[in-house]
Amino acid sequence: MTTPRKNELSLKAASVCRRLACLPLMCLLLPACAGPATGTEGLPDGASSGALPAPVAVRKPTRIMSMMLCNDVLLLMMVPRDRIASITYLAHDAVEALLPGADTGVAINHGTAEEILLQKPDLILAGTDSAPMARKLAKAVGARVVEVGAANSFADIRRVVRQVGQAVGEPGQAHALLAEMDRKLAWLASHQPARPLRVVAWSGSQAVPGKGTLTNEIIAASGADNIAARLPDSRYGSFGLEELLAARPDAILQGETRWSGPSLQDAQSMHPLIERYWRGRRIGYPDAAYACGLPQSADAAIALRNLYRELPAGRPRW
Amino acid sequence: MTVLHAENVSYDIAGRSLVSNIDLACESGQFVALLGANGAGKSTLIRMLSGLERPSRGQVRLDARPIRAIDRRVLARRRAYIPQNARVEWPVAVERLVALGLMPQLPVFGDLDRAAWRKVEVALALCDLSHKTGQPATTLSGGELARAMLARALVGEPEIVIADEPLSGLDPRHAMDGVARLAALARAGRLVIASIHDLTLAARYATHVAIMRGGRLLAYGPTASTLTSSRIRAAFDVDACVQGTGAQAIVDFIARPDQPALHPFPGLVPA
Amino acid sequence: MVRLRQDPMPLMLALLLAAAGASLVIGKVWLPPVVLFDGLAAPKPNLAWLIVTELRIPRTVLALMVGATLGLGGAVLQGLLRNPLAEPGLLGVSGGAALGAVIAIYFGLAARFALATPLLGIAGALVAGALTFLFGRSGTLTLILAGSAVSGLAAAGLALALNFAPSPYAAYEITTWLLGSVAEKEWSQIALCTPFVLAGWLCLAATPRGLDALTLGEAQAESLGVNLNMLRVLALAGVALSVGAATAMAGAIGFVGLVAPHLVRPFVGYRPSRILLPSAVFGALLLLVTDIAIRVIPTSSELKLGVLTSLIGTPFFFWLVLRLRRMSP
Repeated sequence: MTTPRKNELSLKAASVCRRLACLPLMCLLLPACAGPATGTEGLPDGASSGALPAPVAVRKPTRIMSMMLCNDVLLLMMVPRDRIASITYLAHDAVEALLPGADTGVAINHGTAEEILLQKPDLILAGTDSAPMARKLAKAVGARVVEVGAANSFADIRRVVRQVGQAVGEPGQAHALLAEMDRKLAWLASHQPARPLRVVAWSGSQAVPGKGTLTNEIIAASGADNIAARLPDSRYGSFGLEELLAARPDAILQGETRWSGPSLQDAQSMHPLIERYWRGRRIGYPDAAYACGLPQSADAAIALRNLYRELPAGRPRW
Repeated sequence: MTVLHAENVSYDIAGRSLVSNIDLACESGQFVALLGANGAGKSTLIRMLSGLERPSRGQVRLDARPIRAIDRRVLARRRAYIPQNARVEWPVAVERLVALGLMPQLPVFGDLDRAAWRKVEVALALCDLSHKTGQPATTLSGGELARAMLARALVGEPEIVIADEPLSGLDPRHAMDGVARLAALARAGRLVIASIHDLTLAARYATHVAIMRGGRLLAYGPTASTLTSSRIRAAFDVDACVQGTGAQAIVDFIARPDQPALHPFPGLVPA
Repeated sequence: MVRLRQDPMPLMLALLLAAAGASLVIGKVWLPPVVLFDGLAAPKPNLAWLIVTELRIPRTVLALMVGATLGLGGAVLQGLLRNPLAEPGLLGVSGGAALGAVIAIYFGLAARFALATPLLGIAGALVAGALTFLFGRSGTLTLILAGSAVSGLAAAGLALALNFAPSPYAAYEITTWLLGSVAEKEWSQIALCTPFVLAGWLCLAATPRGLDALTLGEAQAESLGVNLNMLRVLALAGVALSVGAATAMAGAIGFVGLVAPHLVRPFVGYRPSRILLPSAVFGALLLLVTDIAIRVIPTSSELKLGVLTSLIGTPFFFWLVLRLRRMSP
């Protein structure tokens, strides 16, 4: 199982080039996550300040509690760690993949009511599921609750990032993150791949992301055509091996979790047909980068684009 | 001449003795009626005589060979066994039910041939079931089913037929009919052993009776000399009078005045 | 009492052949038969050839093998226990096999040692079957109760596996795998399990004589020279081997073993020995037709084989319960 995988293109193997592509973003993020970099607070980057409404002069929340994985990452990007009350216990893997080390020393929560009472946040960033419970308890601790929806498209990402930026009192940070994201998306749009590529995120025939998913959006931004987007029903559908063979995509994207224990996917879904005919055409991507709609989603698209260059010419042959 | 000999057999289960030290030898041509109250150990003895149960002590010999040492298919050809309240589990046709009796004769794979079917027809005719051919065995009446089981036992022409209460649940006519068939088998030279509750029928048809009580054999011998009112009292705790012998014999029970069970209020009987 | 005299085998074999043909033609990707034949004649490999030889033929073979195993297993168990409700699923055998296979896959045994999945599937089936036999010996009711207790035990084990699933994705995988499927299995996987299935069939093929004798009950069967202990061991080993290996390949698929023997029984005069082969053939036919239906029914997410057999089988089970209730006083 391991030997063929080594032959595959993988984001881990190609991480150097991804780092390079992300360099501008890293410069932005580092001060934000590195802690009390007081100078940048409230001061939007010069390039974008004109378009921004004047920030409301409220006290910035100083004990922010995030109750959703995707909010955790946004929060770590926008707010110094000393203003974060806690992030979810699920965040660590995603943070390791996207912002290594950014959550060091940050407390965690398990989304329970007790933790809200104990940690006494002044702002709760809740997901759609956790919002009702958070609202009920918010009064008791005097917290404001902001419900942040899931982001499944770049439009969603803009909305969510602005919403969180506003809520945590860092609209300038939000604006800068989005400007960087849009710059990358514009670069991607103006540099289409040399040849039209048809790809699918396929790790077994169950739950293949189609229309309306973030994965589809990233694939589209990377300049390729997601063949699963044509599934009759939107979002996740099943896409069997027969359909895969018939569609003959140029590349198959396969999610890689940080957890590498045994699974059926390894034991059964890696059909010999895939190994035989998509040799060198399987692109591993970190699941964490596709789990949340974040400004980094543009980087994921750029990383994909870079990997397309290494694909063999022509379509899979049999 | 076939001899079936239980040599001092005992059967214990969970520290309780169901059969103790019974010595009983029977041979071809005998119709042995096994008599005794409920729980006297008749069924256990019958299972040991059939070679289906291993005695705790002693052993059963068939023609001097230990019966448990005989190959089970060879033994199955030589003796037929009909358990108490034999039931049929699937609605197979009557002739198929009877044909199962030929199983020990057949090769492991292979169906009945013409000769085998002839035997089935003969057995059916012998038990007055020819007209039931093709009928599901589950739809037979109690008497018909008992006859079908007898036909099943006879179809393989065994030397020994052992039946556990073959008459239970039968009306008088069918009971008489059944016991007469067993007697006829014995007259034809086979050894028939059957446990029977109807003492009159036993007295009329059995050549020999074995009377049991509490797992022991009280008496064993020719019917006329062995089935006496004193032995019936000893075995069943009822007074009985035995009148006549052979086909005219009658065993009648007489209520004993000291029987507490007959008192309308058993709890009030002084100890 | 329905009694049907005509031999069902020619008709069933013809249907089986037709269904096998249809199974090669029908799939999520519609390739007209002409294209298929052209593809088989054209230089290989090509799309039609790949789809047929690597996906549809293994799928068909597996459906036939698993269906036949379940039909045969159900027929033998019903004959052995003289109980129309006996079936690998209801007796906990399928559950035990599923638990064994899940343990093999998620404790990483399967990755290290390919035979682990079928072997643990068989072991699970064997333990579950033995437990059911042991506790449920005394009659129909206790047997069914013991079967549901053992099934409950296996379900608890599976729930525990889900509970400790190393990732939500693994939990999702276990649940979908349990729904049962014969799609997209590799030839190598099928080759791995087939010897066990065949060994199981061989054990079961030695039981018909004894099953016939059991028509008269255990005592008479024994008196007819049937070695009951041997018969039980053969039936249990055969069912555990074949159903265990089949479950390791295809997940838990219920009710085929219940339905198949019942539907063929009237055609063979209710003789336990005579239902084995037709029941196996009918089980294969039933599962193959169900699998074809899955490919034809338009759903966005794949409809799983075990789900459809349960949907079909449960009403049948109710009918059976009603009929038994009417028959018993």
